[in-house]
Amino acid sequence: MALDFSIFVEYGPRLLMGFWLTIKIVIAAIILGMPWGLVLALGRRSRFLIPRLAATSFVEIFRNTPFIIQVFLFFYVLPFYGIRFPAEYVGTLALAAFGSAYFAEIIRGGIDAVSKGQLESARAIGMSDWQAMKNIVLPQTLSIILPPLTNQTLSLIKESAILSTITVNELTMSGIRVQGEIFRPFEVFIMVALLYWGFNESIAFLMRKIERKANKARTSNQNTAEKTTFISRGSSR
Amino acid sequence: MKFDLSYTIDALPRLLEGATVTVQVALLGFLFSITLGTIIVLTRTTLNWRILNGIIAVYVSFIRGTPLMIQIFLVYYVLPITGLNLGAFTSGILAITLNSAAFVSEILRGGLTSVPKGQFEAAKSLGVSGVALWGRVILPQTFIASIPPLVNEFTQVLKATALLSIITVVELLRVSQQIYSANYHPVEILSGAFVIYFLLCFFVSRGSVLLENHWRVRRA
Repeated sequence: MALDFSIFVEYGPRLLMGFWLTIKIVIAAIILGMPWGLVLALGRRSRFLIPRLAATSFVEIFRNTPFIIQVFLFFYVLPFYGIRFPAEYVGTLALAAFGSAYFAEIIRGGIDAVSKGQLESARAIGMSDWQAMKNIVLPQTLSIILPPLTNQTLSLIKESAILSTITVNELTMSGIRVQGEIFRPFEVFIMVALLYWGFNESIAFLMRKIERKANKARTSNQNTAEKTTFISRGSSR
Repeated sequence: MKFDLSYTIDALPRLLEGATVTVQVALLGFLFSITLGTIIVLTRTTLNWRILNGIIAVYVSFIRGTPLMIQIFLVYYVLPITGLNLGAFTSGILAITLNSAAFVSEILRGGLTSVPKGQFEAAKSLGVSGVALWGRVILPQTFIASIPPLVNEFTQVLKATALLSIITVVELLRVSQQIYSANYHPVEILSGAFVIYFLLCFFVSRGSVLLENHWRVRRA
């Protein structure tokens, strides 16, 4: 069998249209899922039982079931209760819910990684729980959670392929449709795979660069911070 | 419409049957992927050929950079073109294996770095080398160090098997689709399958602690 990649000229634009929808869906899912993940992370650390229980069950349920069945459930359950959305919206919602469970765990890990003394001293100088969290702890978690958040974003791009099962016309679905017209599975799916692969690798490359820069900035910041504390300590004496 | 639990209960025996297929596929795929992952790590560290390392790096990057669904399609649709007709079940397991082996090899590579260098040196000074060095000294320690991520990877494989329903492997999700396409009660049936998946994955991931404790005792 001869490989024929010239079909990319004819069908490439359709695949790229699908890819654009994939990107839009993932961005929307992150915008919805990240704040919800923060709520879940804080809920899991709450000292009250009910929010803790609710957040923990949400996270565990979404982390311990296949994404494809979550998508099906969203797709069938919402109309079951009379809520009708186009498939794209249902898919985005499912991806956001799935992603938020993982975001929550990443954020929680980041909060735990910031030393406990930070929160305690913030409380000791009279900040409220929320003020201490917002002004002291969360800013410090940011650089810790950046790499896992990137990984999770990449994994959301990959998981979004599953939305093709509920007829969302994203990259994988465009590939399936093109393949249904021209019966050239190898060329089509290799092209689809290359698009995902190239995009993921370039994001990973970019984030590694940013990370390196952030690390450099943080170490130099730490040095100046040490200097300033040294100076202030001296003057208070 | 109201949620009617009786449909779920009626479907339960068939769902559980599907769940056994899910577990079978996951166990088989994971077994193969551990084998392949170990081979990859061994070639990388013992042979250390530049070309081979390059191929492995590209393979791992491809698997991690593309959706499993596309990988399944590639195996299922492309192998028949080359004259290899495997059927859904076998190509499904092949796709899962190729996917998971990349992750397992990365896990084991991490586990390997946790084995102290002194272990190699001590074994060599006792005249232990080759198969005995890796089989008796290094690999057991690598696996013990990798238990938590490996168990996590197994739950990933369990969840990944649901995707094989797309290429008509009759596992848990496919069985539920067959049932609700006959009785038009997708919510009840899918909820049943959902709960089964959850229990499987939840208890497997909690089992990690048991395994760790078991091996820690034997080590001491």
